[in-house]
Amino acid sequence: METFNFLKWFKEYGWRHLVGITFVLFAIYPILFVVTNSFADFANLANSKLIPDGFTLKHYKKLSGDPLVPYFTWLFNTYKVAIIASLFNVFLGTLAAYAFSRLQFKGRRASLLTLVIVQMFPAFLAFVAIYLLFFQISDILPFMGLGTHLGLILVYLGGSIGFNSWLIKGFMDTISPSLDEAAKVDGANDFQIFTKIIAPLARPILVVIFVITFIGIYSDYILAAIFLKDKNLWTVAVGINTVFVDDFNADWGVIAASSVLAAAPIATLFVFFQKQITGGLTAGSVKG
Amino acid sequence: MKFSSILRYAFLGIFNAGSVYLIPLIITFESWFLLSVLIFIMFLINFTYLTDKFAALKWITPGVIFMFSFVVFPAAYNTYVSFTNWSTGHILTKTQAIDLLEARTYTPEDQRGVEFDIYIFEDDNQEYYFGADLNENEFLFGKAVSQDLIKEATFARHEPSLKNSSGEIVPPEGFKLLLGKDQINLANKLQELSLVIDTSTRAQLYKISVFGSSTGRLLSTSQRYSYDSDNDILYDNSTNATCSSDGDNFLCNGESVDPGWRVFVGSENYKKLFSNQRIRGPLELVTKWTFQFATLTVFLAFSVGLLLSITLNKEKLKFKRLYRALYILPYAIPAFVSVLVWKGLLNPDYGVINTWLDPFYTFFDIEPIKWLKTKESARAAVLLVNTWLGFPYMFLITTGALQSIPKELTEAAKVDGATGVQSFWRITFPLLMVSISPLLIGSFAFNFNNFTLIFLLSGGGPPVIGSEVAVGWTDILISFSYRLAISGGRGNLFGLASSVTIIIFGIVLLISALSFRYTKRLERIYGNI
Repeated sequence: METFNFLKWFKEYGWRHLVGITFVLFAIYPILFVVTNSFADFANLANSKLIPDGFTLKHYKKLSGDPLVPYFTWLFNTYKVAIIASLFNVFLGTLAAYAFSRLQFKGRRASLLTLVIVQMFPAFLAFVAIYLLFFQISDILPFMGLGTHLGLILVYLGGSIGFNSWLIKGFMDTISPSLDEAAKVDGANDFQIFTKIIAPLARPILVVIFVITFIGIYSDYILAAIFLKDKNLWTVAVGINTVFVDDFNADWGVIAASSVLAAAPIATLFVFFQKQITGGLTAGSVKG
Repeated sequence: MKFSSILRYAFLGIFNAGSVYLIPLIITFESWFLLSVLIFIMFLINFTYLTDKFAALKWITPGVIFMFSFVVFPAAYNTYVSFTNWSTGHILTKTQAIDLLEARTYTPEDQRGVEFDIYIFEDDNQEYYFGADLNENEFLFGKAVSQDLIKEATFARHEPSLKNSSGEIVPPEGFKLLLGKDQINLANKLQELSLVIDTSTRAQLYKISVFGSSTGRLLSTSQRYSYDSDNDILYDNSTNATCSSDGDNFLCNGESVDPGWRVFVGSENYKKLFSNQRIRGPLELVTKWTFQFATLTVFLAFSVGLLLSITLNKEKLKFKRLYRALYILPYAIPAFVSVLVWKGLLNPDYGVINTWLDPFYTFFDIEPIKWLKTKESARAAVLLVNTWLGFPYMFLITTGALQSIPKELTEAAKVDGATGVQSFWRITFPLLMVSISPLLIGSFAFNFNNFTLIFLLSGGGPPVIGSEVAVGWTDILISFSYRLAISGGRGNLFGLASSVTIIIFGIVLLISALSFRYTKRLERIYGNI
C-alpha cells in the first residue's frame, strides 16, 4: 500500500487548491459581504463585518417605505422596459432571421454584411445624437420623447435587433431544410412554415436570446441615465447609482439590500442559462 | 379568409390608424423632416404588406425600420452634430432664436412709475390674483402670471364689486385677501408675477406695505428686438443699437446676445480637439489612459483567468466543479451593482479594504490610501474592480480552449524531454492564443468603451486640476465625451462631444478591421452567408 506523501500530493494537487481557494475568496468575498450585510443588524459601513452580530430585515423594510427612494417603482420600471423591449426585439429578430435563413432574395448578402458591420459599434456611441433627437421629438410627440419609457424602449429595440437576428439566423441554418421543403410540397406557405416548423424548432435559442437581451437592457446605465430625468421613471441602475453617492457610511445597509434585490434575479437567470449565454457571447464576444 | 391575412389586415389597420393620428400633430409643429420619415415608413409598410412582390421584405421590414431609425440614423445624425456648434447658448435654430428674441419686451424709461394700490388674493389652489385699484373708474382684477406665461394670459377685467362703498376690499367667493406680512413671506414669488392689462401694459407688485395697502406699478412694455430679414440685422429698440450677426450670435455694441443659434461649422470641433491646447491636452491624456486601461484590464483579467484554468485543468482534481461554479459568480452580477458594492468596500474611511490594510499602514508608518481620491489609487481601483468583473469570462474561454488542445501534443513534448513549463510556453500557449485572440480583441473593444465601470466607480475622477474642460484622471474617451455633453457642469458641448465619439468610432473601426484581418473572421462570415 502506498503511503500518503504530502510533498508529492502538494506538487500534483495541493498548490492547485491553494491557488483555487485564494481566488474563490477574491471572487465571492464582495458578494458574500453584501449579502450578509443586507441582513445585518448594524448602524453603518464603519462597523460592518462579513459575519454580522445579529440579523434583521430592517434594510429591506426601509427600501419599501421611503418615498425619496422609490426602489420598487424602479424595479418595476426596469422589468417593464426590459421585458417589453426584449420581447419585441426577439420577435422582430426572428422574423428577419427567417428571411435571411430561408428566402432567396436580391441584396440578401449585402444586407447581412450591413447587419454585421452596424453591430460592430455599440449603439450608445451615438448617445449625443440620441439625446438631441429625442429632445426634439419631445416637443412634437411628447409620449415618446426624452423622459419617457416608450422612447427608451424604442432605442433599446433598435440597438440589438441586428445582432440578435444574426445569432438566430445562425441557429435556423442548422435546422434541416428538408423539413420545410417537405412542407412546401404539401402546400404550406412561408407563414405556415415559419409558425409551424421553424419557430417551434428555434424556441431554445429564442429563449436564450431573450435572456441575453433582457440582461443587457436590465444592466444598461448610459442610455437610461440620458433618457430618464423623473425619479419615478428611473430604472434600478440609474436609481441606486444616483441616490447612493454621498453617504456610503450611513446608507450602507440600504445599499446592500438594494444591491441584493437588483442582482439576485439576474444572477439566478445567468447561472441557469450559463452555458448557452457564454456560448452565445463567445460567438459574438459582446461582454467581457 | 386565412389566419395570416386576418393578422396582416389587423396589423395594417392599427398601424395606419396610428400613423394618420400622428400626421396632424407633426404638421402643427411644422417638422417636415419627421413628416417625410413617417410618410416614407407608411408607404414602405403598406407597400410591403399589400403587394406580394417582395416576399422577403415582409419579414425584414419591421426590424430594418427600427434599426435604421434608432441605430443607423442616430449614427449619421451624430456625425452631423459633430460638424455643428450645438451647445449651451446655441441650441435653437436661427428662426427659433429670432422668435425668442422678438418676444422679449422692455419698459421704456418714460413709462415707469405710475403707482396705485394693489391687493393680492389667493385662491384654493395657491394661485395668486391681483386687484389693481388704478382710479375711481378702474378696479382691475385678474390672475397674476409669471414672465413666460404673459403671452397666453387673459387680460384683467374691471371688477368694481370688489370694493364696497366705504372703500373696503371684499374678496370674491373662494379667494382670500393676503395680508401684508403674508405678502412679505411670498415676496420673491409675488414680485415675479404680473397682471396683464393689455398687450403692452401690465401691473406688478412694487412695494409691500405691512399696515396699509401695497403699492403696484404700471409697466408699459414694448418689443425689445426687431429683426430685419432682408439685411439680417437685429435692432435693439431699448438702446437703438444695430446688431449684426457674427454667424451664430447677434452682436450688439460688441456684446453677443443670448441665445445664439446652431450652425454648421465645418471641421471647427475637430480643429479644436487637435490644435486648441486647452482641449488637446485633456484629450491626449484621456486617449492615452483609454488605451492603457483597455490593455491592462484585458491583460490582468486574462492572466487571472488563464492561471485559474491551468490550475483546474487537472484530472481527478477534487471540487473542480465547485471552483468553476464559484468563479462564474462575479460575471453573473450586473456591473452597475458590483461597482456600487466595490465603492463601499473601497471607501477610504470606512471600507473593509482599508481596514485590512490598516496593520500594514501602521507597520510601515504610512498614510492610508485615499481610494478613488488620488490619481494612482483611482486608476488602481478601476483596474482591480474590472479584473474582478472580467476574469470569469477569461476563465471560461481559456478553459474551453485548453480542453480543445489535444493531449497528444504535450505528451509528445514530454517524451522528447521538455519540462512542463517548456511545453506550456512552446506548445499550449501559442495554440491557445490562436483561438482566444479574437475574443481578447473583442474584450479590448468592449473595455475601450466601458462607460458603466468608469462612470459609476470613479465618475472619471479625481479631476485634473486646472483643466479648461471637465476631465478626470480615470476618464476614458466615452466618459469624457459624456461629461462634455451631459454632465460636465460647464454647459452642454454637444458638438464637441460628438466629435469625440466620432474619434472613438474611428478607433473601434480600426481595431475591428485589424482583428478581422488578423483572424480572417470575415471569411467565416462570408462562409456563413
